[in-house]
Amino acid sequence: MTDIILILVGAILVNNFVLTQFLGLCPFMGVSGKVETAVGMSAATLFVLTLASACSYLVFQYLLLPLGLEYLKTISFIIVIAAVVSMTEIIMHKTSPLLYRILGIFLPLITSNCAVLGVALLNINQSHSFAQSVFYGFGAALGFSLVLILFSAMREKLALCDIPEPFQGAAIAMITAGLMSLAFMGFSGMV
Amino acid sequence: MPLSLPMLTPLLTPVLALLGLGLTIGAVLGFVAKKFRLENDPVVETINNLLPQTQCGQCGYPGCKPYAEAIAAGDAINKCPPGGETTINQLADLLNIPALPLDESYGHPEVKKVAFIREAECIGCAKCIPACPVDAILGAPKYMHTVIESECTGCDLCIEPCPVDCIDLLPLEPYAAPIKTVAELNEEEILVCINCALCVDECPVDILPHELYWACRGNDLASAETLKLMHCIECGKCDRVCPSNIPLVEYYQATMQSLNTQQADKKQAGKAKQRFELHQQRMEKLKIEEEQRRQKRAELAKKGPRSQTRDTILAALERVKSKKKPS
Repeated sequence: MTDIILILVGAILVNNFVLTQFLGLCPFMGVSGKVETAVGMSAATLFVLTLASACSYLVFQYLLLPLGLEYLKTISFIIVIAAVVSMTEIIMHKTSPLLYRILGIFLPLITSNCAVLGVALLNINQSHSFAQSVFYGFGAALGFSLVLILFSAMREKLALCDIPEPFQGAAIAMITAGLMSLAFMGFSGMV
Repeated sequence: MPLSLPMLTPLLTPVLALLGLGLTIGAVLGFVAKKFRLENDPVVETINNLLPQTQCGQCGYPGCKPYAEAIAAGDAINKCPPGGETTINQLADLLNIPALPLDESYGHPEVKKVAFIREAECIGCAKCIPACPVDAILGAPKYMHTVIESECTGCDLCIEPCPVDCIDLLPLEPYAAPIKTVAELNEEEILVCINCALCVDECPVDILPHELYWACRGNDLASAETLKLMHCIECGKCDRVCPSNIPLVEYYQATMQSLNTQQADKKQAGKAKQRFELHQQRMEKLKIEEEQRRQKRAELAKKGPRSQTRDTILAALERVKSKKKPS
């Protein structure tokens, strides 16, 4: 139980995937314009990350290891992730068509979100058990959601502010992200 | 060196493993896709609700609904001149895509107009009545017509069918204009808000004037509304304490005006949408009735010329015969 909690805290705060390990920056910049969109994206990523880390663990343990095909792990993980993302896409199109439209290209792009593949590969590297893998993926997704929603709330406020012209748009977003990353450095060494 | 089977065997396991993985995943995805099939897209309805419902067809589509369908399928959002910038911004916000300037090739945004019939010149031909997409023209053949001003969307579709050119489009009186617009206020301001929150303590109706100021300044009507803009009683206490001398109340007034305009336009659009749908139903019904009448006439014509009169004569003879019999 303690190790699960440690994994969760570690993945959410200490080794936050976006702000400390700099993975998954594309959706972090791309869909953080509005809080609602960010919440939708977070939910999709949460679903994909948890499911993908479970599936990739199973594929690695019960397909690749017995056959001695460890060197195929990257490509098979990509296949698994792509499948989970497609499934999420189909389900979301049915349950929330508007969100599906709003997320647009960023939804299929979760496939190439390096945080997802990163979690799957890190699970293998750190030889996590099944439960640990699932919670590592879940924690990574929670960390991603946390910073994405915080960041989008800040950007919503920034949109109304008096920003000097050269800093408008992406520039001020980058600066904000950098400051957030600095703040998250404060968590290092906690676990 | 030619390829031989023993050379390929080490390749066999990985290929088969990946193939099996792919097939399993494909089967699962196929099942999910079948289970979660989408029947009709509710996005179209949401987009349609944002369009001004003038049904003018300036976008190149025969009404607002078809254009909404086209947008949902990926068409550009800047083809609606009556909606202008407001509609484009709302659509961009809804679909999370960048707002484009209006495509001027589809028309220019103009002041809101309504059709007006110079009644003395109207000959009562009734040609404009079916042309009106929202059934806002009242009248009957050989009687003069008139336009219900509050229902007219100013689409100008009735101008063309009128044979005597007695319909004018007159500009509608705009909603009460603010003293200065937000853009003008933004221009002239020198000192910025420092978020000192002195105004918060002064406000008698417990709104957050400085937060509201940022929303008004950025023309964010939705935020302004949630920050209780409409609760402002324009007492001016916040103005007096502001160390930056920001004309807060003028900002609020300008934003209230935009908000009121937006809400009134939305209400009008809702009404126009309803009337357009009824109009279309009516047209559909008329078309079916016309078709039935034509078929009836065609059947009669097939029986030969004057078959109707012959039938009447035969029926009359029959009647006479039956009357004569008893005597």
